[in-house]
Amino acid sequence: MKLNRRAFIKSAAAGSAIVAAGSIFPGISFAGWQQQEGASGQISWQKAPCRFCGTGCGVLVGVSGDRAVAVKGDPNCSVNKGLCCVKGFHSVQALYGKDRIKKAQIRRNGKMVEVPMAEALDVIAAKIKETMEKHGKDSVAMYGSGQWTIPDGYVASKLFKGCLGTNNVEANARLCMASAVTGFMTSFGIDEPMGCYEDIEHADVFVTWGNNMAEMHPVLFSRMLASRKRKKNVTIIDFATRTTRSSQASDKSILFKPSTDLAVANAICYEIIHNDWVNWDFVNRHTTFHKGKTNIGYGTEDHFSFTDVPEDITFEQYKTFLEDYTPEKVEKISGVSAKDIKYMASLYGDPTKKVTSFWCMGMNQHVRGTWIQNLVYNIHLLTGKISTPGNSPFSLTGQPSACGTVREVGTLTHALPHGVVMNEHDREMAAKIWDVPVTNIDPKPTYHTVEMFRALDRGDIRFMWIQVTNPMVTMPNLIRYRNGALKDDRFIVVSDVYPTPTTDVADVILPATLWIEQEGMFGNSERRTAHFDRIVPGPGDTMSDTWQIIEVARRLGFQKQFPWGEDEYIGKIWEEYRRFHDGPKHNMASYEMLKERSGVQWPFVNGKETRWRFNTKHDPACKPGTDFDFYGKKDGKAWIWARPYEPAAESPDQEYNFWLNTGRVIEHWHTGSMTRRIPVLHNAMPESYVEINPEDAADLGVVTGENVKIISRRGSVTMKASINGRGVPPRGMVFVPFFDESYLINEVTLDAFCPISKQPDYKKCAVRLEKA
Amino acid sequence: MALPANGAPDIAQGFDSDGEKIFNRFNETPLAATTGTDGTRTLNTYYELRQYPGSPPRVPHDVPDSFSGDTLKCLSCHGRGGYDVTLEAYAPVTPHPEYENCSQCHVPRREEKLFVETDWQSINPPLLGRSEMGGSPPPIPHTLQLREDCIACHTGNASVAEIRVEHASRGNCRQCHVPMIATEPRQEFTRNK
Repeated sequence: MKLNRRAFIKSAAAGSAIVAAGSIFPGISFAGWQQQEGASGQISWQKAPCRFCGTGCGVLVGVSGDRAVAVKGDPNCSVNKGLCCVKGFHSVQALYGKDRIKKAQIRRNGKMVEVPMAEALDVIAAKIKETMEKHGKDSVAMYGSGQWTIPDGYVASKLFKGCLGTNNVEANARLCMASAVTGFMTSFGIDEPMGCYEDIEHADVFVTWGNNMAEMHPVLFSRMLASRKRKKNVTIIDFATRTTRSSQASDKSILFKPSTDLAVANAICYEIIHNDWVNWDFVNRHTTFHKGKTNIGYGTEDHFSFTDVPEDITFEQYKTFLEDYTPEKVEKISGVSAKDIKYMASLYGDPTKKVTSFWCMGMNQHVRGTWIQNLVYNIHLLTGKISTPGNSPFSLTGQPSACGTVREVGTLTHALPHGVVMNEHDREMAAKIWDVPVTNIDPKPTYHTVEMFRALDRGDIRFMWIQVTNPMVTMPNLIRYRNGALKDDRFIVVSDVYPTPTTDVADVILPATLWIEQEGMFGNSERRTAHFDRIVPGPGDTMSDTWQIIEVARRLGFQKQFPWGEDEYIGKIWEEYRRFHDGPKHNMASYEMLKERSGVQWPFVNGKETRWRFNTKHDPACKPGTDFDFYGKKDGKAWIWARPYEPAAESPDQEYNFWLNTGRVIEHWHTGSMTRRIPVLHNAMPESYVEINPEDAADLGVVTGENVKIISRRGSVTMKASINGRGVPPRGMVFVPFFDESYLINEVTLDAFCPISKQPDYKKCAVRLEKA
Repeated sequence: MALPANGAPDIAQGFDSDGEKIFNRFNETPLAATTGTDGTRTLNTYYELRQYPGSPPRVPHDVPDSFSGDTLKCLSCHGRGGYDVTLEAYAPVTPHPEYENCSQCHVPRREEKLFVETDWQSINPPLLGRSEMGGSPPPIPHTLQLREDCIACHTGNASVAEIRVEHASRGNCRQCHVPMIATEPRQEFTRNK
């Protein structure tokens, strides 16, 4: 058909069947296009950080009337410079699923009935009081999220730790980046990355460690690809256990056997030392050498406890330790050829190349998660490639405010907004700012996440309030923890926006506002805090998670600690919280500044963001007169750790002969409770699947789309096979995305965790397969 | 024809809303390819793939699950366009070929049904033909963000019939067409004295 514009207009005017006329004549809608009633046709744009991952893209939300109707990337936000990913571009549609929870519900005679909000809040307060009286203060718990806003987490910590006096505050970020935190604490003594995303434009080499950035951090991945295209001499190495989109886009894909990244990292250090690529000036002045306990266990039993005991060692002792990790020896353990190990070492060792390492869940969800972080830092420390533009060991975060709310506010059992409960000075500071007696704050941590759900199952915890997370999909070894939550005499409160398997086990459901229906702040991977206003009203009785906690706190008699009005509370909370971080190491921007800018990085000192920490040229907290100052540690040094290779908690054997690896896909955010309600995303990725290596599939006699039963010692799930699909695992491994509540893969996974960080390993357990 | 990286040290890449893209594309595209009118895309098929004015379109054709092998890269069709025999269609040309991680924003549809019904609504796309005076060149009704390259979308066989220009031989589009975003409030001049 030949149709130029003039001819087209003629044919439209002649009443042809072409339905595009709505574009020319007002009042005619396009097919399938739901037009907002009474829309003025105009959009006003307001800034917000994206709701989804830890990248922390700036988005502009297009508002028409009281509805969000469009999204574009915020060109003023340095993170994404106007680009988003498919989730971000469609993020506002997550507000409008038909089954939004709009009313509070209480379980009565086994059935959920709608009640006024005030009644539900009364019940919660009474239940907290009653449970504490009957079973002690540590029988009530709060389980929050890296998707909590900063004020959400702050008031939760203040109520539970400061007022109720229990350290039973945890967040799903324990499942997500606890190993990143302990990695930072053990190597540097202070949390969060020294570098920033600008490293991407400066680096010559990228090594991604067990990290499928093309799907999980797509905006940063394309920033990396754009830099490679512009500079031409950039090399991207994908170092992983499975072939993914990231492998396909990389210059080289190197596969290793699960858990052997520990051995390979040590072999890289061996090569650096034996080829004399060590930056001696840096190592002598800025590092010290240490070792800790070995053979440290896996935490699969209740009440497991572990405390590392660091010992100083000499460089010579460290060098001797590395003798077990020659490239040739490690080739046998890891399946990575000695040639490839030497190649990776040569990239790190080349003094003319700036190297950035990226990682996320591959290194965090690892039974030796803390160790592998230490070992990758070792590589950067030995070569002095750290804290300078382009030289950056960079731990990416999964959730939009895992850093902001969980790590910085300290919503973990041992933590406070500044420091830890074990430290007297930190307790005193918190008590002073919170206006509570210092004796309120218990110096002993209670339960980390896995142990908290075990305590719920055992009956040590009787009341749990869950906000902004979906543990009945995400807990490993899920069957035990769901059965625990369902036991008689357990009381579960869930604040959420849509029905989920977690609201299914709730005794009270509170309707929460979602993202831009409330004011708040998120903190992203590169120490950037981003504020968003309440841009559209929430539906029905929905209430912000922060305000829900404040309402309950007041019912428990803590009016004095929670005095703010509904029109001002976010700003007031921010200014109170900011006092914890006063000083050049962590100063944060004022409320006014946050409202104005598309994100501000901390330390924010004298009106300036700090791009590279520990580097005297960039970081005002450094002692003058030196080039680097690792001020997190008392000696001002970064610690190089001798950490051995140890295997996973459960490896394939005769009976259970496959590795099970789990993770995400680009379309869906975590358990899909939001993204599955976004039409484009659900239609693109309607259900989960199991990726099988083509040869294994042939042995099993299955083709793509046929059902496979995945069986572990804990449970089983039957789902469709995907062969040569989006990702391809090596022989002997299967991969399952966890977003789909119809296929609860976490009934199959194992609740083993890193003994130091207590973060579970979702990437490694043993299963067998049956054609179903 | 990209600006030499060291040619203008004080000038940022991408200044003037990536204005050089138009000239580069114009230079690279044979005249015959800019004047074709054989395609069948209409605004209706265009907006059917979008959730709101300016959203990234979904991919309307099958994409192999294992996509991303070199020969299958999106840009081999969508970089410069051309006729695809199997789909019997002209491939639309992307206005932002510098982004290579296409599936970051564009996803196919593998399922027609929704997970749950949605209450999503958006505003109608901008109207066409909004010349300020009879016969004057219409302003650009959409933002230039990610859509700076006029030639890619407004010329040739793959372009949308209603918005195809008939004077593609002129390569300096913004000589006559200036942005006046239809979905944003109109700014009137007031003297700031």
